[in-house]
Amino acid sequence: MSAEQHLTLRRRLLALLIAGVGAAAATAISFAMTVYEAANPKPVPVVAAGQPIDTGRWIITIRDARMGSTPPTGIKPFAPKKLLMVEFDLDNRSASTSNVFLRLFTIDPPVANLSPPTFYLARDKWIAGGLQPGMPERMIASWEWPSAVPQPQQLRLQIASQIYKRRDNLYGAPGWFDRDPVAVVALAVAPEAVATER
Amino acid sequence: MTATAVSSGERRRYWLSVAALAIVLPAAIAVNSWNSLEEWRSRHVRTPLAVERGAIQHYAGAQWQLSGLTRLSESPGNTILIVAEFEAAVDDPELLQKGPCQVILVDDRGRRWQPTFLPPRVVRQARPAAADKPRCGALLKAEKGKTTTMAETFTIPDGATDLALSVTIAGARPEYLLFK
Amino acid sequence: MFRGFVAVAFGAAVLYGLQRTTPGYGEITSPIPVAGKPGQRVDATAFTIGIAKVHLVRAVTTKNVGRAGTFTTSGVWVLVEGAAEAKSESLTLMSAEWLGPNGIRYALSQRFSTVSGMLPAQRLEPGLPKPVLMAFEIPESQVSGGTLLVARSAWTPLEEQARIEMTGIKPDDIRPAAVLARGQGAVPWILSVE
Repeated sequence: MSAEQHLTLRRRLLALLIAGVGAAAATAISFAMTVYEAANPKPVPVVAAGQPIDTGRWIITIRDARMGSTPPTGIKPFAPKKLLMVEFDLDNRSASTSNVFLRLFTIDPPVANLSPPTFYLARDKWIAGGLQPGMPERMIASWEWPSAVPQPQQLRLQIASQIYKRRDNLYGAPGWFDRDPVAVVALAVAPEAVATER
Repeated sequence: MTATAVSSGERRRYWLSVAALAIVLPAAIAVNSWNSLEEWRSRHVRTPLAVERGAIQHYAGAQWQLSGLTRLSESPGNTILIVAEFEAAVDDPELLQKGPCQVILVDDRGRRWQPTFLPPRVVRQARPAAADKPRCGALLKAEKGKTTTMAETFTIPDGATDLALSVTIAGARPEYLLFK
Repeated sequence: MFRGFVAVAFGAAVLYGLQRTTPGYGEITSPIPVAGKPGQRVDATAFTIGIAKVHLVRAVTTKNVGRAGTFTTSGVWVLVEGAAEAKSESLTLMSAEWLGPNGIRYALSQRFSTVSGMLPAQRLEPGLPKPVLMAFEIPESQVSGGTLLVARSAWTPLEEQARIEMTGIKPDDIRPAAVLARGQGAVPWILSVE
């Protein structure tokens, strides 16, 4: 190789090296950050019942929890059931009517064989449809408690959050996307009110 | 740096590549949208098999016949109920069970009426036999050698003329039956 | 070299402008509006709709329609009576929204699911106009300056949507109560407003 070719070759190798160092540094920093965040997760704040929690799309205020055998509709079911009912206020903060509150809060730690809750509108005493924006409503979430699991006296509810993206990563369309839980609410569960016989 | 003279061979290769784009671009578009084009064609390009009143037509592995087209008037107003009864003598149930059937009433202006979900009360009073017949979904349980009788009811306005019954079996597209 | 720099900067500016002005997926697939006014026939390609009367009430009581009861709301009930007709094919208008002046869309209330004649349950046949009833729950501040949006579906891209500007509706028109009962004739409901 001539001296001139040697020079251009060295220049190209130098450019490659600098670019490589930059890319390697970016990869290393990103990996380190992921590992650090996984090792030191941000603590989820524990909130008392009665405090409004902003989850992005909804502002939720857990009121109380109780066990019962009659759902909020007042119609007694065929087979006797144990129902865990959590009463809460829900305010829709998005720009359109929404009925996406099924996974808004989950029981922590998860209970085996627990089917998803049914949501009732306390005003109607009937199953809730969509909630209108800016019109808060009192609602009741009702879980059918499996008979094998002892009835709870304390309840920990993990509240999920959502963010609004004007353009998402797939279509560039607006939408709400799930994010990490934003709070945990610990409250006592009132036992089933037994009607006193006279 | 001065630009070196472009050799004639290089220039010819350049223009050949540009010319090839005129073929490659449409080919790329066609290959990527082939599935969508096929689906659109199967749904929109249809050939009718016209059947005169009383005639029997072979379609999708069965012999089809329109056994009755009754006109009932429903009070109030200018609503007409059309009860279409038809039957299929099944030779080969394979195509019939492959996909959903679609029965539509068409008129000369191209308006299309879908059947009602349940026969209205008037149909049960006027033609009780037709009210008991199943809808075309009964073909999914069709057996070879047996005749399946079906009935569908349509709610149409008074002024509709030149009505024809169109029966489409998904597996036998693009052909469809048109009972006049 | 300066010319090269200018060319790159110019290219970057053009691309930045293109990026900022590209319409999003939501805008590209947004419904096609068909404007209209109450009392007028609004003609889309697949359907026609006309709004006859709008009632504003604070509470609605339902009688002999499946689930009877009184329905209250923290805002105002808007009950819209109209008629709709399909043009060339049987269809159901599944989506109706009240677009408030603040840009928020309030969809049909699902609390009256057992009342017959509600818009999402009416199958419209070509050539047969049918009466339709819509019920919305909106805050009182959104009553005047609202627009009614009616379409066959809320999610199909480029769906035709009737946009009926609800002019002439004022918060003074709010009445205390209304009774919604089953009708006997052509109109499947009877709405009486106090």
